[in-house]
Amino acid sequence: MLISKKIEFAASHICRSAQLSDAENERVYGAAANPLGHGHNYVVEVAIEGEPDRVTGMILDLKQLKDILEERVMDVYDHRLLNREVTPFDKVVPTVENIAIDIWNRIEGHIPGARLYSVRVHETNELCVEYRGEK
Amino acid sequence: MTVRLTRKYGFAASHRLHSPALSDEENRRTYGKCDNPHGHGHNYEVELTVAGVVDAVTGRAANLEALDALARRVIREPFHHRNLNEEVTAFRTEVPTTENLTVEVERRVRAGWTEEIGARLEKIRIRETDRNICELSV
Repeated sequence: MLISKKIEFAASHICRSAQLSDAENERVYGAAANPLGHGHNYVVEVAIEGEPDRVTGMILDLKQLKDILEERVMDVYDHRLLNREVTPFDKVVPTVENIAIDIWNRIEGHIPGARLYSVRVHETNELCVEYRGEK
Repeated sequence: MTVRLTRKYGFAASHRLHSPALSDEENRRTYGKCDNPHGHGHNYEVELTVAGVVDAVTGRAANLEALDALARRVIREPFHHRNLNEEVTAFRTEVPTTENLTVEVERRVRAGWTEEIGARLEKIRIRETDRNICELSV
C-alpha cells in the first residue's frame, strides 16, 4: 500500500550548464536559461510503501514523515537560490529531474519502517517529474 | 538514472456522444446530457508521461522542445477549437468519449514520435472534466 505526503517550497534557479555554450544553453533550456534566475512554487509528493500496522492502522506516523521532510527538504530548499545554496547544484543543473533525484537521495534510508516508493516534483502545473530510485 | 516526466497540454473542443448503433432512447440512457444533438464542449487536458534517462550534462530526461512541438502538431492543431465529431476523421465512426479520444491521441502521438524527444512514451491521461479522467499505459 502507498501513502503520500505533499509539501511545497519556493525557490529560484538558473538552468545553464557550464559544459554548454550560451547558444546551446538557450536552445536546451529556453527562458529557464536566464542567467539572472527565476523561481517556482515547487510541489513535492513523497510516496512511501508499507503495510498498515495492526494496532495503529497506519503505515507510518505521518507526523514523523512531515518532520523528516521539513528537516531534510524544506529547511534545505525553501526560499533559496538552488544553484548557489543547495548541493549538488553547484555541480549539476537544477532541472526538475535533478531536484527529484536529489530529494530522493536526501530522504532515502531515513524513513523508519517503510520503503520510499517515489518522489514527484511539480515545477509548474504543466511539468512534473517522478523518480522511483532507478539507477 | 531514469525518471518519469509528465507534461500537460490543453485544447478546447466540442463533441456529441451518440452512437448510430443505439436507438435514441438507448443513446439518451447511455450518454445522458452528452447526447444533446447540438453538442457541447470541454477544456481538455492531456498529460503525456515519458520515461527517460537524465542526461549528465543537461540534467534533462527528454527534449521538451521536441515534445512540445509534437504536442502542437498532433494534439493542439487537429483538436483545438474543433468539433470532434465533424472534424476528426476517427470520430465520424467512433463515439468521441474520453476513452476513444485517449486511444486516438495515443495513436497520433505514437505515429508522430521522433528520436529527437530522447525518451519513451509511457502513459497518456486525458482529463475531460475534473471528475472524468481516462488513462492509458503505452
